[in-house]
Amino acid sequence: MAEPVWRDVIARDVLEQNWVTRVDFGQRMLAIYDTPSGIFASLALCNHGGADLCDGYFDGHVIECPLHQGAFDVRDGRPVGAPATRPMKTFETRVENGIVQIRA
Amino acid sequence: MPKAITTPLTQALAEGKLSREDLKSLMQRSNSKSLLRLALWLLMLATTSTLITLAWDSWLIWPAMFVQGIILVHFFSLQHECVHYTVFRTRRLNDIVGQICGLIIILPHRFFRYEHCDHHTYTQVTGEDPEMIPMPKTLREYLLYLSALPYWRAKFTELFRHASGRLSETEKGFIPKVEHAAVYRDARLMLTLYVGIFAAMAIIGWWGLIWYWIIPLFLGEPVMRFVRMTEHVGRPTVPQMHENTRTNMVSAPWRFLCWNMNYHAEHHYVASVPYHALPALHEKLKDHIHVEPDGYIGAHRDILRQLFARKHG
Repeated sequence: MAEPVWRDVIARDVLEQNWVTRVDFGQRMLAIYDTPSGIFASLALCNHGGADLCDGYFDGHVIECPLHQGAFDVRDGRPVGAPATRPMKTFETRVENGIVQIRA
Repeated sequence: MPKAITTPLTQALAEGKLSREDLKSLMQRSNSKSLLRLALWLLMLATTSTLITLAWDSWLIWPAMFVQGIILVHFFSLQHECVHYTVFRTRRLNDIVGQICGLIIILPHRFFRYEHCDHHTYTQVTGEDPEMIPMPKTLREYLLYLSALPYWRAKFTELFRHASGRLSETEKGFIPKVEHAAVYRDARLMLTLYVGIFAAMAIIGWWGLIWYWIIPLFLGEPVMRFVRMTEHVGRPTVPQMHENTRTNMVSAPWRFLCWNMNYHAEHHYVASVPYHALPALHEKLKDHIHVEPDGYIGAHRDILRQLFARKHG
């Protein structure tokens, strides 16, 4: 498997402020979160029921699934509310020259 | 690319019934707004409790307990909102208040949360929706359901099954394995607490909670059964949300009691929208959902009309 490298995802200034933005990224759909402690990224589909987390409620560091209100901490992907029980896939994220990048 | 599942919300967004900005604004939660409403709610309960006290030595205690019961059974509506984490902005507060509601109405919060998730996934799908209330075939079935006797039988059976460390096959389908032990623990804790409360009453020789809580709860439950029937019963048993759910236009006191859950189709469309924003969501969706303008009574007229049409059809 190839070593993960930093890849451009989206310009920082087009992200929805203090909210979640959906981005198509190759074969994946990503959720990019603008939080009080920086930018974070995860896969966009909930690992419980497959709904799009980008249509969910976002507050601080917690994204809530729109279908069943299961919730995850976007900083590390850990589930913080049932029926989510497994961590969601997150990506190491940074902003370089105004571009959000993930290590993937 | 893996695709998100289609939900009523994704459909509403795709069809332009809702914009992303609408959604974002409607989903906002508030601790202060809900704490104020909860305070008013508790004041209402204190008032009906006072009525019971004033009527203690007369037959009027029975209507007073019934009124108290109507409020008590509507703790279900508050618990239901807490299940969706939409009452308070602080998630933990939703858990705490939801668990207290569950203790009052004998419905373990965690179990209800999992069961309710499947209700939202499979609304009105026969054999899949664990909360589905079947359309009664006869007037006897209709009245029996309203008596709340089948409801209590099912709830107590459920509670004792969980306390004895068992789940039904259906329950195993919607409760993840890692949570089985917690569901059993919740049921045992709940039963232990009830035993403790009754033991404490026996020790101090004051049985007031039976008159302020237990009897009113059982007197009031038929009202909650009457309300719950209006949400889906008599609507088509199909997955389409604009058909399978009924929104009932009811008066302000009923809306207050049920935490706006009369806007039931709107709630099913976007379960992340808190109770206080459901009237605004109704304005956005009212032309796309089934609305019963005559409220709960209108819904029951519809159910009975269908019942008699089937019987004589």
